[in-house]
Amino acid sequence: MNSRAEPSEKTNFALLLQFDMQIDGFSSNWAYCDRLSSFVARMIGHNRTDSLLYSNLFSSAFNELLETAFRIHAPGSDFVCRIWRKGPTDRIELTIPCDTELSAFYKDAVDTLGESNLAERYHSALFSDGPLQPSIGLMELAVDYKARLSIAAAGDRAIQLVAELSLEDVNQ
Amino acid sequence: MLDTLTPTYTARFDENSQELSLIGSMRPQHEADMAKCLQVLEQSLRLVRGTLYINVKRLVRVNNIAFRILAAALVNAATERPDLKIKIITSSVVGWSTKKFGVLSAVNANLIIEEYDNEFYPGQTFVENSDFIHVLRTQTKMTWRHERSILPRHGLKPGMKVADICSGIGDFAVLMQKEFNPSRIVALDHSKSSLAYARGVAEEFGISGIEYVYGDASEMLLEDNQFDFVTCRHALQVFDRPELILKELFRICKPGGRVYVTNEKNSHCLGEPHGESIQWTYTEVAKLWHHFNMDIECGPKSRRLLQDSGFDKIQMESFMVTNLDGDPQDFADIIESWKNLFAGDMAKQRGDSPEFIERFKRGFDDHIFAALHPKGYAGWPIWVASGRKPL
Repeated sequence: MNSRAEPSEKTNFALLLQFDMQIDGFSSNWAYCDRLSSFVARMIGHNRTDSLLYSNLFSSAFNELLETAFRIHAPGSDFVCRIWRKGPTDRIELTIPCDTELSAFYKDAVDTLGESNLAERYHSALFSDGPLQPSIGLMELAVDYKARLSIAAAGDRAIQLVAELSLEDVNQ
Repeated sequence: MLDTLTPTYTARFDENSQELSLIGSMRPQHEADMAKCLQVLEQSLRLVRGTLYINVKRLVRVNNIAFRILAAALVNAATERPDLKIKIITSSVVGWSTKKFGVLSAVNANLIIEEYDNEFYPGQTFVENSDFIHVLRTQTKMTWRHERSILPRHGLKPGMKVADICSGIGDFAVLMQKEFNPSRIVALDHSKSSLAYARGVAEEFGISGIEYVYGDASEMLLEDNQFDFVTCRHALQVFDRPELILKELFRICKPGGRVYVTNEKNSHCLGEPHGESIQWTYTEVAKLWHHFNMDIECGPKSRRLLQDSGFDKIQMESFMVTNLDGDPQDFADIIESWKNLFAGDMAKQRGDSPEFIERFKRGFDDHIFAALHPKGYAGWPIWVASGRKPL
């Protein structure tokens, strides 16, 4: 499985941070999404042109990924988060335990990010009635943060969700 | 990690300004967690006429759950109250908010997004041009001769976490980094061009480790209790409400840390010969600044300002930058630039007559004459004050 990839080759990316945890522990408390995204953003933002602005943007984008993983995952396995950097680009890799059905959700969600009406669909999701669309965070990353998203299989029972962000460019 | 998501946000409505301020972080898990926000919004809507302002300048984080609820409530309000304009005030300092809230305008034209950034300070436009940058550097060079030894008396030590707020072109932060080797140093300013200059200088001279941050000193996004030593030089005097900046300096300072401010009292600039002419002109400078809602006489008021902002163990002293500090031409260059600024753009904007401007300029010329005269003396007094944030 390798869907809508085209993020850059991982060559020359330097690993900045890695978190390994049990998905059951991560998903036991919603606040962990906020805490983790804020902590990582502060850690990796300090040497960007404007550390505070960068941290705000990164935290917002990363939090949506974490909230998606919080909602959509299979229990009982490892959840791994790695942050890589190459120049202006930061690469978030989340290894999320998934069964076949959940993997299909991520694959479909990422596949549709390339469609021409994405912004329209994202805005429609923002103003729709009823429950939150689970892919709304991924759409936001692609539309508002110009993230390049992809997924790949990570063994039999997990997927690796990748988001590459060049947030200083976005803010220009 | 904490077990609960705290702090989250505050929602506060000010009836006088018809402004609902949303501050903090809104990342709820459930839509029901937004009930408090919606309740305050509903109360606000019952009380307002004409325009409701929604201030999200310090709403740092919002997830999609919160945004959908908020967006739906605002769209409903705009639909049900066509008589009402709802202006959402965002800030580019936050980064994401203008784009995120911007989608609301497309849904209802009475939902208006305004990005607040410019006009932070009344004097901003006067000092942002590139000619003035050279002067700012010269000023810092001359004041540093004094402040280098004053700063330790006010508590600055190597290895501290330091913030320089209203850092301008960043040269003071560079000097502090070189001299005091802080473990962290943040330089925050509200001028993008000054920050760009500061970053350029840092790159050119191979200076690393200073975090140059764009922001409004009266509403900073820096977290509470972060810094051992916070400096804010020559800034309270160019802001019409210095207490707002001091409140923020207090907030980001650690308990037990100190906030260090410098300010002037321009009417006390002096020189000989031609003392009377010099004194007249600088008394007029103070009036000119007052016209633009700035208090260039602020220096001796620093003690009261710090006390009123909650600081204790206040220390205060003054020093005089003079023509005898190094090259007298440096001093003369500063006065020349003041003349160009004060008797130029500012006097013209106030509508001063040519006769007044001519006399006004003469005092500056006399000050320069005093500075360069082999027997002359010219001075520019500065007041230093620092206070401790109580433990």
